[in-house]
Amino acid sequence: MTLALLVALSGLPMRGPARGDEVPRLTFAQLGDSMRANLGVTQSIMAYNGREIEIQGFIIPAGPPDLSFFLLSRVSGTGNYCCELPSGQDETVYVYTARGVSLRYDPIRVYRIRGVFEAGHHVDRSHGVSFFRVRDARVEEAVGARIFKQ
Amino acid sequence: MTPVTVVWRYLQGRFVTSVLTVVSVGLGVSLVIASVLLTRGIKEGFIAGATDYNLIVGAKGSPTQLVLNVVFRMDAPTPNIPFSAYEEIRHDPRVEAAVPVAMGDAYQGFRYVATTEAYFAPFSWRRHVPAVSTGRLFRSEPSGKPDYEAVLGVDVARRTGLKAADRFFEGEEMAAYPLTVVGVLRRTGTADDRAIFISLASYWEMNEISRQATVKPLTAVLVRPRRLSDLTALHRGWNVAPDLQAALPTAVLLNVFNLLGLVEDVLVVVLAVVAIVVGLYLFVTMYSATLERRREIATMRALGARRVTVLGIVLLESCAIASLGGLAGILGGHGLAYVGASLLAARGGPVTHALALGALQPLTLGAAIALGTLAGLLPAVLAYRTEVAENLAAL
Repeated sequence: MTLALLVALSGLPMRGPARGDEVPRLTFAQLGDSMRANLGVTQSIMAYNGREIEIQGFIIPAGPPDLSFFLLSRVSGTGNYCCELPSGQDETVYVYTARGVSLRYDPIRVYRIRGVFEAGHHVDRSHGVSFFRVRDARVEEAVGARIFKQ
Repeated sequence: MTPVTVVWRYLQGRFVTSVLTVVSVGLGVSLVIASVLLTRGIKEGFIAGATDYNLIVGAKGSPTQLVLNVVFRMDAPTPNIPFSAYEEIRHDPRVEAAVPVAMGDAYQGFRYVATTEAYFAPFSWRRHVPAVSTGRLFRSEPSGKPDYEAVLGVDVARRTGLKAADRFFEGEEMAAYPLTVVGVLRRTGTADDRAIFISLASYWEMNEISRQATVKPLTAVLVRPRRLSDLTALHRGWNVAPDLQAALPTAVLLNVFNLLGLVEDVLVVVLAVVAIVVGLYLFVTMYSATLERRREIATMRALGARRVTVLGIVLLESCAIASLGGLAGILGGHGLAYVGASLLAARGGPVTHALALGALQPLTLGAAIALGTLAGLLPAVLAYRTEVAENLAAL
């Protein structure tokens, strides 16, 4: 742990996760309900645009291994024979971390993400089309958390 | 005479012992620095060499083996998959780009990678696009006539001395299929620098088994989905197929990092033991020096030196040894890390020279000085308590 700390301190600026009740927590159920057929999202979810939010889910490592970018999904995508199949934009949040994160990745653990929320159709040169994004995100393991659709 | 002058004289007076103590502190510190830098370098090497494709589809087996072999050219290739699997993947509407890859044998230790021109396509989402610095890419299509043309990674060209228009082969059985160098790639900082790229048509014709086979073999297909949100569905879909597996290369690397973290934890215990041994050695050195100097200390006291001054001199000497050892260790540790990284890189390991200055160096130096202070504390107290009358009585 000390070596990991030295490595982290020597090359990776870290920001400790913060907790507080004042940050609204969004769920995948809210995101799914907000999707509209014309590539739009509801005003109620747009109201969170630019605000700091918290959301919990499974990490799908879809970016570089420094986890500067990854997908957050309601369902763990790595099990082959159990769970539902994660599908579509309504169950996926594109997460851009603050300055890389230092965490032990585990595909079956739930993580708590806190950062600036963006909703709406967006095309990114590197990551393509997305509907829900969290930028400047901090990540920590959500110990004991469980994810339900409803 | 100031305390600094006294310390300087003390160090000169026990020159060999002082140098040996500085060296032992330096070795301990260099071990810490080299371990941290090499660990960081290996991680950064994996990150720098990671592929921009989100999925790698290959034969059923270990996803770690699949990713390490296809992306980093390490380990043995996984079993073959049929070329038709690539055709199916390519025509999936959810797939933006699919690149077939077949891993071959090696020339002078550099692996053949058979692929198509799609491997070199400059998509906007790619961080490293392999482009030729001299010459051109090979031309043949998978279904076309083999051209036996080769494009070399920059390290292959440098180490083998091959250049455009040179012909080469390795082994008697390959004499009938010499390859001609048509281009050399720019440096990418990835495993592509150490690969020899040929067309699939050439690869299939060079291999006796695939020459006779009606179903042409591949090792893997690199896949980029049109929408990243389709990633997990594609991953699951191919994984439940009876003969294919799909691996998320980043997930595999993160698992490798987790294992590396366990090694780091063991290393921490080893380094802690080293720090204790170095601290004890420093303590024994200072303690024996203080015992030897009791009469000198008593003389200093008799001439008017205060107890605190004597305490300060011993602590200063201990700190000076630790500081010199710390500085030497930081320099030595960087040298060790550089040599280690160079050796790893020469063997084809993904490693960068992580020599940038950061918080590591001052933190380590501070820790060494703190250790020195701690080791010198008891001898300093001993010097502080030295009685003048008792130690000068024999005179």
